[in-house]
Amino acid sequence: MATTITPNQPAPRISKAASEVDERLIVAGPLRRTLNKVFPDHWSFLLGEIALYSFVILLLSGTFLTFYYDPSLSETEYQGIYAPLRGIEMSRAYESSLGISFDVRGGLLIRQIHHWAALLFVASIVVHLLRIFFTGAFRKPRETNWGIGVVLLVLALLMGVTGYTLPDDLLSGTGLRIISAIILSIPVIGTWAHWAIFDGDFVGDVIIGRFYILHVLILPAVILALIALHLLLLIKQKHTQFPGPGRTEHNVVGNRLFPAFAGKATALFFIVFGLCAALGGLVQINPFWLWGPYNPAQVSAGSQPDWYIGFLDGSTRLFPAWDINLPGDYTIPALFWPTVVIAGLMFTLLALYPQIERKLTGDTASHHLLQRPRDVPVRTSIGAMALMFYGVLWLSGGNDLIADKFDISLNAMTWFGRIGCVVLPPIAYMVTYRICLGLQRHDREVLEHGIETGVIRRLPSGEFIEVHQPLGPVDEHGHGQLTYAGAPVPKRMNQVGGARRAIKGFFKPIEQPSDVELEAQRERRGLAAAEADREVTSGRPSEGGRPSEGGRPQDPRD
Amino acid sequence: MSTTNPSSDAPTTEGRFAGLRARFGGRSAGSPASAARARRRSKQRRRMTNVAGLMAALVLTGVGYSAIAPANAADDAASGQSSAEAAGQALYERSCISCHGSNLQGVADRGPSLIGVGEASVYFQVHTGRMPLVRQEADAARKPPVFSDAEIEQLMAYVQANGGGPTLPSGDLRDGDLAEGGELFRLNCASCHNFVGEGGALSSGKAAPSLEDANDMEIYAAMLSGPENMPVFGDNQLSPEEKRSIIDYVQTLKEQADPGGAGIGRAGPVSEGLVIWVVGIGALLFGIFWMGTKA
Amino acid sequence: MSKDERAGSRPDDEAGPLHGGPDEDYTPEQLATMDREELNRLGARYDGVEVLHVDPPPAPGSALEKQAERQVSLAFGIAGLFALAFAVVYFGSGWFLPTWQWGSDDNGWSAFYTPFIGVCMGGALLFLGVGMVLFVKKLLPHETAVQDKHDGSHFDRTTTAATLMGGVDRVGFPRRKMIGRSLGFAGGALGLVLIAPIGGLIKNPNKGNPLGTTEWAEGIRLVRLDGSPIRPGDQEPGSLETVFPAVPGGNLAADAATMLIRLRPEQMSRLQPRQGQSDFGYGDYVAYSKICTHAGCPVSLYEQETSRILCPCHQSQFDVIQGAKPVFGPATRPLPELPITLDDEGYFVARSDYIEAVGPTYWNRERI
Repeated sequence: MATTITPNQPAPRISKAASEVDERLIVAGPLRRTLNKVFPDHWSFLLGEIALYSFVILLLSGTFLTFYYDPSLSETEYQGIYAPLRGIEMSRAYESSLGISFDVRGGLLIRQIHHWAALLFVASIVVHLLRIFFTGAFRKPRETNWGIGVVLLVLALLMGVTGYTLPDDLLSGTGLRIISAIILSIPVIGTWAHWAIFDGDFVGDVIIGRFYILHVLILPAVILALIALHLLLLIKQKHTQFPGPGRTEHNVVGNRLFPAFAGKATALFFIVFGLCAALGGLVQINPFWLWGPYNPAQVSAGSQPDWYIGFLDGSTRLFPAWDINLPGDYTIPALFWPTVVIAGLMFTLLALYPQIERKLTGDTASHHLLQRPRDVPVRTSIGAMALMFYGVLWLSGGNDLIADKFDISLNAMTWFGRIGCVVLPPIAYMVTYRICLGLQRHDREVLEHGIETGVIRRLPSGEFIEVHQPLGPVDEHGHGQLTYAGAPVPKRMNQVGGARRAIKGFFKPIEQPSDVELEAQRERRGLAAAEADREVTSGRPSEGGRPSEGGRPQDPRD
Repeated sequence: MSTTNPSSDAPTTEGRFAGLRARFGGRSAGSPASAARARRRSKQRRRMTNVAGLMAALVLTGVGYSAIAPANAADDAASGQSSAEAAGQALYERSCISCHGSNLQGVADRGPSLIGVGEASVYFQVHTGRMPLVRQEADAARKPPVFSDAEIEQLMAYVQANGGGPTLPSGDLRDGDLAEGGELFRLNCASCHNFVGEGGALSSGKAAPSLEDANDMEIYAAMLSGPENMPVFGDNQLSPEEKRSIIDYVQTLKEQADPGGAGIGRAGPVSEGLVIWVVGIGALLFGIFWMGTKA
Repeated sequence: MSKDERAGSRPDDEAGPLHGGPDEDYTPEQLATMDREELNRLGARYDGVEVLHVDPPPAPGSALEKQAERQVSLAFGIAGLFALAFAVVYFGSGWFLPTWQWGSDDNGWSAFYTPFIGVCMGGALLFLGVGMVLFVKKLLPHETAVQDKHDGSHFDRTTTAATLMGGVDRVGFPRRKMIGRSLGFAGGALGLVLIAPIGGLIKNPNKGNPLGTTEWAEGIRLVRLDGSPIRPGDQEPGSLETVFPAVPGGNLAADAATMLIRLRPEQMSRLQPRQGQSDFGYGDYVAYSKICTHAGCPVSLYEQETSRILCPCHQSQFDVIQGAKPVFGPATRPLPELPITLDDEGYFVARSDYIEAVGPTYWNRERI
């Protein structure tokens, strides 16, 4: 829309191109709405982005790999550049993977970036999930998003498994054999399921090809759709935020999308990409030319799946030899429970947790403010308990390596895992619960009695007291009257402006002589005059304060 | 031994004899002081006599024993030993006999019989320092060898001569087919020693060791002799050519670079998972602390 | 938007949020009098966003700003240098630099090619990101904004419900039973059609009992990896050899790998074979399936002194003296034993196939 402009005014110009676009698509309003969206900028809200960017890196690097990989199990004899395998029979899948690593310029780098990004993808999903869990962001209205997230986690695991099986090397082939055994162990339909998936007995001719299509087409399509839905819900429902000054259940405080938030988000993408590229070059991952091609009669000591499947390897190692023999000579194999059942139970409980908690607490209200983990000790302790259980299983997945490197008996490691996974979680629950209560009590104590300043004063009566800095108005007994509102309670004097202006600079102090002089002048003139210049506010928006600072002086600019 | 009494001089010859006469002869001592002196002198005399008598008895006993005691086996010149075997026997009896017996027959609950283990086994165990064993435990670990190469040769000669068994090969121990060695290694060895020979855990505290420090001959000798829980790979099972192929593969892999960056122990997904959590998530957490707010 | 001035065009209706901005409240002339910042705030307020406080960036031209600009530019500069280094090494290797192709005996340039280009690529991307973060933190104003959240609208709920239910009512399925039933029938049948291709995946796993049979049969020789047959004198006591059936593809068959173990005299004296299988071995030789009965890994760690066969995957341990019975770990069934004997030429042959299914347990393993 070209407008006539009065000269000498800073005039808003709309370019011809922009007008052409808007006349056809009418995007100006939605665009402005998007640019103005407010996102809270706590550091823990960036974890989900790491997962998103890892996925983008996976898509990019993976596409490159598909140009060279051949998902075929037909046997061939290797005559390539890697001498220790020359003349060895292997599948085309393995041979083409060797080709990517040794015969494609930069192929090894891209392949390693892909694998590291895959490990990072699942790790960042897990960290993100833990943040959501411990802050209660999954409560109404976000239960669906939580469920989508859990499904994304499971799909990420499946992507990983189908992906690392593609080179058909000794390590992943051993894992494939175990997958075959797991499918066989399903009661009633196990053998039928196996024949359907493998088109017959292990190994068959089709499994790598099917894994390939799952890995590059079906699963990524589902994941992309779910990510889109996940983000759409996030945008629609708006991000949660921690309680604090000016923050309510009916608003969001933070940065607008453009330019600050978008800038940081883009920067994080480059940082994640840079990290994956650096890892892809500096640290070798899955050197399958050393493992050799898969052969059902060969295996290596210390065979483990990638870290995110490690907990299932651990549960399989720990579960005792308990077959269930049913009448009619039917058997429920022991392998069924620590793989299918445990994984199924864990992920089902995880996905349904919002509903479970809702049932147990009776809390049916919508929540957009987060909770500090200490304020929900039961949930936090349940989480710690679950993490301890997961951790023992995860550790047990590598128990033979630990036994070897640390000179511990392998049998003892197995027993440690068996007993530990039952005994340690309740201990973790109790310890976490007490810690949460302790932290809560300390918060309320500081609210009531003020911050301990560390200044000791001797009263005329001879008694020594420590001077406390109250956080707000006090009653006649000297007790504070502020109630706990879910926000972090300041516990150090510099958090309430009791310290000098912080020294600027991250690695080196940036001394601005003029500022230091000004500061000294102000102090000479007295605090009252200084307050006029400084920005100690009440934090209330109506008085022009900044709610995220809540009465503190400006943060340093870095 | 002189007394501290300043009035006591070193006894004169006459005084000495006087003391003796006083003891063995009649009572010719005079004053109490001289009598005391005489008594002191006689005490000294008694002591010296005792010592002399004791020493004489000891010497007599020793001479008698060596005359009566059975002849040392090393003195048996009738067996026709080479000097290496003889030296080896001397070493054996100094360091090995308490667990392996005087005739290589072994001692119950301490050491197995060495009959039939051959020089290959001796070379492996002693050159890797496993023997002499420090203590009885799940399995013997490699440690700096106690014996020099020459001494090991002597021990090998002794045990081979008295028990027989597999002998060491000669020539280039890497003269084989590299790729075939890889196939054989993965089929026979990787399940215990890991796909590159990093080692692995066995049951109940035992471990298949890393091949990092093993030289060609040690690997050959191990395959041939089947130390402790390792199975025996005789030459009819793995031919000498096949053994050389395996050694070629193992040693080539050890010297081989890791083209993808740091090898992180070539241990598989466990170390990779550790790296992604410690380095990857760690670095990114640092990054987002920096980027975001903490309030 | 330019007004359509042809005859018959209607002026814009009363606009809600979905129909564009409040043009009637703010004429173009009014908007032209506002500067960029005011328009920015106006639009934000219209979207429910209130900018509470702006922490201004360093003053233009100040030392602090110059320093920040230098830092940001330095970061971008380093990123560019890394990227250039990447390009030079990536394209130049094999051209004016040594080749990038790594033969396994190389310890030089080609062995460091991937780490080098990885560091360059990573550095370039990382410093680009770092520069952007520095820019945002040091050179942009720090703005704190508040945005209102909309709750659900009762108006919306009621009207939407009415629209939906009105439509449903007009369609009238509950009334039109015959249509409903016939549609249900068609839908169900069409569903069958759609999932039929998946049905094509279903195969009968019991036909021919493939899980319960292997390539072994009476008279099939035991051979090594290289195909050579085995005599009883070939192995030492306390040894383990992996053997395959002497059939085409025998060394690649998933379930046929077998461990031929020659026991030591001490082990022979304590031998307790499984019931009915005391004659399955030959002399001091026994043959057990190499496929673990837990999850199918090759078992293969033979501890000749403790007589245990350890599986590296989940640490099941089988006692070879007790008929490969599981004594530790998650395995429940002993390793199947292959009955062996010698043929006329003195080589080991199988007397029959395994008498039970090899490998992991499944639902109807005992019935076949």
